[in-house]
Amino acid sequence: MQRIDGYAPIRDYALIGDGRTCALVARDGAIDWLPLPDVDSEGVFWRIVDAERGGAFELQPEEPFETTRCYQSGSNVLETTFRTASGTVRVTDALVLTDTSTLAPMRELVRKVEGLSGAVRMRWRLAPRFEFGRRETKTGRREGRYFACAGANGVLLSTWDTGDVDVEDGTASGSFDAPAGSEALFDLPLTHREPIVTPGRRGAEERLDRTGRFWLEWSSRTQYDGPWRDAVVRSVLALKLLCFAPSGAIVAAPTASLPEWIGGGRNWDYRYSWVRDASWTLDALIRLGYEDEAEAYFWWFMHASRRTQPRVQILYGVDGSTRTSEQDLNELDGYRGSRPVRVGNGAADQVQLDVYGSILEAVSLYAKRVGRVDGTTGKAIAKIADYVAKHWRDTDSGIWEVRSRETHFIQSKALCWVALDRACELAESGVIPDRSDRWRTEAEAIREFVDEKGWDTERGSYVRAPDLRELDASLLTLNLLGYDEPGGERFNGVIEAVKRELAVGPLVYRYRGEDGVAGKEGAFLTCSFWLAEALARAKRVDEASELMGELVALANDVGLLAEEMDPETREFLGNFPQGLTHLALVNAAVAIEDARREP
Amino acid sequence: MTIWGALAGGLVGTVVLTSGLRFAQELGWTRMDIPLLLGTAFTDSRSRANVVGYALHFVNGLLFALIYYAVFAAVGHAGWLFGLGLGFVHALFAGGALVTVLLPAVHPRMGTPWSDAEETPLLEPPGFLLRNYGDQTALATVIAHLAYGAIVGGFAAHLAGWT
Repeated sequence: MQRIDGYAPIRDYALIGDGRTCALVARDGAIDWLPLPDVDSEGVFWRIVDAERGGAFELQPEEPFETTRCYQSGSNVLETTFRTASGTVRVTDALVLTDTSTLAPMRELVRKVEGLSGAVRMRWRLAPRFEFGRRETKTGRREGRYFACAGANGVLLSTWDTGDVDVEDGTASGSFDAPAGSEALFDLPLTHREPIVTPGRRGAEERLDRTGRFWLEWSSRTQYDGPWRDAVVRSVLALKLLCFAPSGAIVAAPTASLPEWIGGGRNWDYRYSWVRDASWTLDALIRLGYEDEAEAYFWWFMHASRRTQPRVQILYGVDGSTRTSEQDLNELDGYRGSRPVRVGNGAADQVQLDVYGSILEAVSLYAKRVGRVDGTTGKAIAKIADYVAKHWRDTDSGIWEVRSRETHFIQSKALCWVALDRACELAESGVIPDRSDRWRTEAEAIREFVDEKGWDTERGSYVRAPDLRELDASLLTLNLLGYDEPGGERFNGVIEAVKRELAVGPLVYRYRGEDGVAGKEGAFLTCSFWLAEALARAKRVDEASELMGELVALANDVGLLAEEMDPETREFLGNFPQGLTHLALVNAAVAIEDARREP
Repeated sequence: MTIWGALAGGLVGTVVLTSGLRFAQELGWTRMDIPLLLGTAFTDSRSRANVVGYALHFVNGLLFALIYYAVFAAVGHAGWLFGLGLGFVHALFAGGALVTVLLPAVHPRMGTPWSDAEETPLLEPPGFLLRNYGDQTALATVIAHLAYGAIVGGFAAHLAGWT
């Protein structure tokens, strides 16, 4: 792995997490990203946005090495194997789950080093830098152990068989031999607003083993048997890491400001729960049999949106807050000079009418597959449908939350139709109060608008908006959500237009037009999976399978995908790993398998 | 007689407190729903939870009125102003410990800051001073508890003849 100006390629990261926060581990053994205490908190390791000042936890052989990596079977516990001229060493990394039967740290990073052959000299360096460096990190030794703290946050390093710990300039470091058969351990308890719990070696190792067992048991419940099972299981494990356990929220990605183009300014904080993305994640979780997570999210959504219902904000904080103000961290360099580094997200105040279609689709699936929707919730859902019936004629910023002027995005209108269609279904089955006469009338009016104003006969496809006569890959979602008859003229028309105008090999751009933000971006991987799913729904199973095979092969060595990809260099771009990409992968795989099995 | 006065104050105070918080909800100031939070400790049906929660909240209102009464009796003084002060302390306790620490610790369907991937709680934890339920939740809680305290203090003073 070659770092450029201190930055690892995004493709060379793997994700570990515990349902509360997540860390990125590079192929060279460095942990370059870890917010504390929660996934949306400020970073303690944040070298992905500033290679020089950002904190990190490095661990690698002293001599030149080659690396292979994998997750433990069906798990989010990562194994990195270093091969050197002197021997082989395996490092196992995990943010371990809290064992509630005993006093355990509130967050805990465990790194286990096992000598497999020969004898490898390892070196390590721990440099925590709290709150993106905006607050001074105090460091020192306590009872012989290295500690670092800032405000209410702190870490305390315990080591076993890793040699002496040197502390200099706020950084702990050391080196040690790892001969065949040896086992060394780093345990880093992290705390927030409570005393640090310092576990013993046995407790830390037990939690590491227990964490691996939990993930394996959890992932073995995946209800998918098809040719892409490995990719689907990896995707659902990644999605589970994006579920914020304390509240049930689901974040779009665990990182902030990984750029959509190297050196560009399209750097956003995705550590929020987008209602659209999370609703689709809920769909994917239900389809794969993970009903507990789906139920937790559903409750969270109904509670988080309580203050604004029937209007729904497009994104919320993981604690349900509406405080998402965007802030530029101008003192940070940004990933390979991609500035500004942003935390918070200014899109929260946008109007995006398509979210209502995603919500009602998710509620419909939830009611069918998971269980009851009680009367109070049913009334709230019906009010949301009323809101859609009243407001679908408004302009909005569309699914891609463009920062140019609002307009009548066709995808948004069609998703409003989906919302009212699902509301009618829910009313017919008695789940929500029945006001379907009005909803049906408005749904027909939407269809009339979309079919007349949104269809381009010459192009043989819908267009982005009546005043934006260009293609948008999000129009594929009309196919996925049942707006058009599968395999019909319009259904296939959109597929062909996307392939013709937006695809570069297996990759698909979102659109080619302007969006109010300067700079380029890569192809959007979710759109590629949407195309594969649309092909499957059109019964073009061979085409869908071929495309799916190409797309799955684009994942990195541990099966993870980013938001975007440079079609020329195949470099990953954007926040990583991206939930929307992985859930699109899951839905495409399931759709292809369904299409293959249907007569 | 004086205990009945405090209990009557507790009943009226709880009606005002609960209604006040409900208005705050409807005005979009807060997502906090005390009956739902209490009721979901016993059922995952929102409708049933609301019924159970309201009943529990009124029982709690009466119990707190007795605690207020004990303080009045110990000091030998009651009144709406003294009740107002106790209401403020009550609000701090509710927002700083009772709902934020103790309730998540015993609530089977509520997350805590320690919930991890093994758990799928249905309710998010309130956070310190209930701020997870909206920025103005703490303010609404304080105002509602001030009203409750003043009513309990006023009723206890009037019916007991204390001033």
